[in-house]
Amino acid sequence: MTRPPTTPDTPGRPLTTTPDGAGPAHDPAPGPDPTSETARSDGHGTVVRVAAVGDIHLGPDCAGVLRPAFAGLPDRADLLLLAGDLTRHGTVEEARVVAEEVADAGVPVVAVLGNHDYHSGEEAAVTQVLTDAGITVLEGDAVVLPVAGHKVGVAGVKGFCGGFVGRSAGEFGEPEMKAFVRTTRLSAERLALALGDLSAAGCAVRIALTHFAPVPDTLAGEPLEIHPFLGSYLLAEAIDGAGADLAVHGHAHLGTEHGMTAGGVRVRNVAQPVIGRAFALYRLPVAGDGTASVPEAVRTAAPAHAPGGELISGAVRRS
Amino acid sequence: MIEFTAPHEDEYRIARLRERLAADDVAELGVQVEQRGTSVLLTGTVPTASRRDEILRLAREELAGLTVRADLVVACADAPDRWEELP
Ligand SMILES: [Fe+2]
Ligand SMILES: [Fe+2]
Repeated sequence: MTRPPTTPDTPGRPLTTTPDGAGPAHDPAPGPDPTSETARSDGHGTVVRVAAVGDIHLGPDCAGVLRPAFAGLPDRADLLLLAGDLTRHGTVEEARVVAEEVADAGVPVVAVLGNHDYHSGEEAAVTQVLTDAGITVLEGDAVVLPVAGHKVGVAGVKGFCGGFVGRSAGEFGEPEMKAFVRTTRLSAERLALALGDLSAAGCAVRIALTHFAPVPDTLAGEPLEIHPFLGSYLLAEAIDGAGADLAVHGHAHLGTEHGMTAGGVRVRNVAQPVIGRAFALYRLPVAGDGTASVPEAVRTAAPAHAPGGELISGAVRRS
Repeated sequence: MIEFTAPHEDEYRIARLRERLAADDVAELGVQVEQRGTSVLLTGTVPTASRRDEILRLAREELAGLTVRADLVVACADAPDRWEELP
């Protein structure tokens, strides 16, 4: 299986392979069983506090709008996820506004781009502006962040659309149609590989971050006719196949917050119009809390608004 | 002078407004445009008040002669006062 070489190859950022260097160890760890009490913490153990928002659609006219809320993040969250559509038209100027908004976040910020961030054909430059501001921009790769001595992993792709089970486009017919569906399929494959990397890295918590929706549950409120343009079941299949503790997406402004994959992974639509706040907050218990199954912390502390994590990239993993 | 258009022409004008809202000048996919009898209703959430005004201006321009009603909400930028436990 190949992944396009989209390594955000920032000089000086430690690129690491999986701990044993064994490459793509791909045991398809099943997703957590929501009905299994043994897989749960009672809430008194370590929790990872995840802040997340998507579809903030910033432009110069919005400068400063979210900054006050983001500035309070260190007291409330261990990391901030940005689920794409950070800009209106995907220009460098708008990306600079995004960078300014999170400048004082004081927690690691992990992002994927959305369709709007591709609109001007400047997505590479947009990614660079965000990366220069200390944001980890994922596209087919993953990052591991140390939280209270545990490894918290985020795997991200923008994703793409095509629809959901029983009502989806197929890779058949005209070249345009095949290219459309193939884009989604490759994106889902990259997400599965990146999630697999997180399992191999021994992450206590694994989060799948996309812009497009993996399930139709979180689209409730959107016209049924446009569901095929809002997400794809291939993303959910990837998430269930590789395993994750939470899937976070945006894009569906009229949707609802809560959903679940067929495999039982919780899905949250954090599009800002949906959550109605600067960000949503989720608390996830650390799996195997207090046991020795988690390797030593990879970093002592995350510097303010810097990723502070190891980036796991497909290119490095393959080498 | 107001030119009265046939109902089917209104439908295309509304479609054109939807396209303009999604396109370069506004890039606002979260705004719904619905025909309600003889008027047109805009609903949805936008990031700022200025963005809301811009959308209204565009709608009135594109739908001149039709009654445009708007119930556009400016997104709340406050930090949340609660969190969700995901046990
Ligand atoms: Fe959006
Ligand atoms: Fe989007």
